[in-house]
Order: sequence, then C-alpha cells, then structure tokens
Amino acid sequence: MTFSERMLKIDRRIIFLVIGLCTLLPLLYPVGLPIKISSEVRGVYEHIESLPERSVFFISFDFDPASKPELHPQAIALLRHAFRKNLRVVTMTLWVSGTGLADQIVTQVAKEMGKENGKDYVFLGWSPGNTAVIINLGQNLYKTFPSDYGGKPTNGLPVLDGVQSLRDVDYMVSLGAGNPGVEAWYVFGKDKYKFEMGGGCTGVMAPGLYPLLRSGQINGLIGGLRGAAEYESLIGQKGKAVAGMDAQSATHVAIIVLVMICNLFYFSMRRATGRQSQVGS
Amino acid sequence: MDATVLGAWVATGLTLFIFSFLYKDNPLFKLAEHLYVGVSVGYTIVKAYDTVIVHLIVKPIFEQGEFALLIPVAIGLLMLTRYVPKAAWLSRYAFAFIVGVGSGLAIPRTISSFILKQVEDTVRPVLSLAGGDGVTFSMNLLNPASSINVIIILIGVISVLFYFFFSIEHSGPGKIVARTGVMFLMIAFGAAFGYTVMARMSLLIGRLTDLIEFSDASYGNPTLWLAILTVGVLLVLSRRSSPGEQEK
Repeated sequence: MTFSERMLKIDRRIIFLVIGLCTLLPLLYPVGLPIKISSEVRGVYEHIESLPERSVFFISFDFDPASKPELHPQAIALLRHAFRKNLRVVTMTLWVSGTGLADQIVTQVAKEMGKENGKDYVFLGWSPGNTAVIINLGQNLYKTFPSDYGGKPTNGLPVLDGVQSLRDVDYMVSLGAGNPGVEAWYVFGKDKYKFEMGGGCTGVMAPGLYPLLRSGQINGLIGGLRGAAEYESLIGQKGKAVAGMDAQSATHVAIIVLVMICNLFYFSMRRATGRQSQVGS
Repeated sequence: MDATVLGAWVATGLTLFIFSFLYKDNPLFKLAEHLYVGVSVGYTIVKAYDTVIVHLIVKPIFEQGEFALLIPVAIGLLMLTRYVPKAAWLSRYAFAFIVGVGSGLAIPRTISSFILKQVEDTVRPVLSLAGGDGVTFSMNLLNPASSINVIIILIGVISVLFYFFFSIEHSGPGKIVARTGVMFLMIAFGAAFGYTVMARMSLLIGRLTDLIEFSDASYGNPTLWLAILTVGVLLVLSRRSSPGEQEK
C-alpha cells in the first residue's frame, strides 16, 4: 500500500480530532482576527438605524434550539440595537418548538436594557397555521394573537398603539432556520402587505436567499454566525458570535488544507495506478 | 442545586454523549438521541395542545360564545376519520379543503415572488421600457450604473435553463450553452457547500463555547466530570466488545 493510499484510508476519527482542535484552541486562545462588514448585514443595520424612536419593529424568531448557535447571537444583537434605538419591539415565532427559546431571548435582552413588557416590547408567542398566520397578521393582529405569550390581552397594549396589522409595521426581520422563515414572510407578508423587510438565516439557507436580496425583495441579510459577528461589531457589543470567528476561520483553513491534501493524494494515487497498468500491459 | 446549574449539567452531558458518536456508536449516544426526539415531540405536543385546543378552541367557544369556531373544528375532526376504515372517506373533505385553500394561497403568491419578480430583476437592468419607444436595450458597460454582474447573471440564468431543456439534443452550439450551464450549477453547488460547512462549524463552535463556559467551577465543573464519565464508559464498552470482535 502506497503512502497516498494509506493517507486516503486514514481513520476518520483523526480528522474529527483535527477539526475539534482547530475549533477548540482559538476559542480558548482568541487571536481577534478583523471582521469585515458586508453590505447585506449593513443593510439591516442601517435601516434600523434610520427608524425614528417608537417605530414598530417586528421580529419573528423562526427557529428552534437546533439552530441556536447561529441565530441566537443574531437575535440578541438585533434586539439590543432595537432597544437602544427605543423602538417598539413586537416579537413572535412561527416554530412551536422555538417558543421557549424565543421568550427567553426577548426577556433576557429586555431585562438587560431595562425595557418594560407591554410598553416597550411584547412577545406574542406561537400560533398554528404557519403561513396562514402571516396572512392573518396582515389582516388583523388582534384576531391572530388575542393575547400575548403571558396571557395578557393584546388589545390595548401601549406597545401596539396604532398597530392594526402588518401594514402598520415600520420594519420586519425574520430570523429563519427553514420553512416557514424568511421566504414565507416575504411571499405571504411583504409582497402582499407592503412593509419593509430584512432577513437573518442559518449559513445553509443563505445562498438560497441571495436572489431575494439582489432583487431588492429584502433589504438586508444576516447570514449565519458570520453575519451575527458582523452585526455585533456594528452595534459595538461584541458577544458570542465575534468570539467564535477565530475558530470559524481556523476550521475553514483546516478544511481547505484537508481538501487540498486529499486531492493531492487522490491524483498521485491515480497517476501511480495508471503507471502500473501501463507497465502491466 | 439551582435550575441553571442543573441545566448546565444536563446540556453538557447530552452534548458529550452526542459527540461520543464520533468515536463510535454507543449506548450513551442512543440515550441522548432518544431523549432529544422524545423531549422535542413532548414539548411540541404540550405547546400545541395548550395554544390550539385550550386557547384557540375551548376558551373562545365556552367563555366568549364564538360558536363559528365549531366549523373549522368539525373540518379538523374529519381528519381523524382516517382511523375508522368505514368512515375514512369523510377525511377527503378535510384534505380537499386544506389542499384547495393551501394551493389557492400559495400558487399566485409564489409565482409573483419567485418567478415574476426574479425574471423582472434579471431582465430589468438590461432592457427598459422607455417612454413610447417600447422595450429598449439600456445596458451600457461604459456607464458605471450598468454592472458586468448583470450580464453574468443573465448568461447564468439562460444557460442553466437551457441545460434543463431536454426537448432538443445538446450538441453543437447547444452543447456549449449546456456546458456553461453546468459550470454555473457547479459554482452554485460549491457556494452552497461552503455555506453548509460554515453552518456546521458554527454549530460545533456553539456547543464547544457552552462546554468551555460550563467547565467553570461555579457550575461544579460538569464538562470535566462528564467528559471523564463519557471516556470511561467508552473504554469499558470497547473492552467488553473486544473479545467478541477478536473471536469474529
């Protein structure tokens, strides 16, 4: 067995170990690599920045704990920015399995920023129907969510003053890990009820959403942990996403090197096999 | 032990148990996997029951007298007739209602958002409707507003569409266009794969960040103790399975 063959049949657990170490070491000993802000993340930031005080900012946390590492930092950064701008924050989720997590995120950031439930923000919770919920919200918010997550009637809440439906929302961001998510909010929400919209998503989903971004159907996109790190840098409150960027870069370098080495061994093995067959014939 | 510390121990343990699969399949991984499925399903059922049955059906009907809700409830109940073979045909009405409403809502909106808007965005920078002259070619590479990306996107869209057009043979100039389409597809798959790697690594970073946080003494060092436990169990299991494997 040649060296190339032995390397191509290497125990995959060694590769897991290499990737694990490349992730762990930068987390333990961060270097602080620079983070360049992309125009798509800046799109969301600048729109929120341009909103006047007490504007209505609607966030839908369309993810569950399985996507927490990517979307939790995005949600925290967005909420911190919105609360700092004194916006009225209306939140909900289309994912039943993400209800508890969404409530925890909103409550945690609101407490940290000294905001009052019902006056500065509200968490509407979850309602069944997926995309039908979006359509219902476009018609009447109070019929879709007669009460908030805590059971308080939504009608009469100061945070919803002047808000009848999605048409009264100044800016909306869906943080989506799948369907229903950003696409559903665009198709059944923005396209029909005409409000300005941005998106946040997992890395897996980001390439599929770029066509919406390019055509101006959404005005910004926060993609994966990288997007969250950019947003944290923009608001000047570095958190878990920025801390993870060194590890992300290190693992990417490791994967690129592994792919290159694998290809080198593969082609050298193929060349050796070709030579052997020529000698044999 | 407060809830945060208990949560840290549970999260750390389950993370390490799941990671143990990277060494090999084992009972600790299976325990964590089954717990994940069970807890997810249990949580979803409880939340759905509380929100739908209690807050959206029972309370509005009995406390606010909204009897119109009985109509969707009846349609929903028809679904359950699937379990009674003689009455199963009734469920078709419920399915018909759902498929009809769903398609009616989705088809026009999807065509508008994903086909018409995208076609418009692909063509608009190149052609424009100027005054009474009809469609005019407005692309000008000397104009900074006209980006070369527009041409690349247009070539990409047309070549990929042609690649999936199987009514004529892909030979001669058609072969070049189809090959160009394949190249665009490969670039798209590469970009998607790159983002997927980034996403998976982000998940790993998330778990490792929590493991580092929970290695703190304020939580009782769950990462350390549970890592020792996991490694110990894996060692015991591999020793137990070794004689059998040797016999094989």
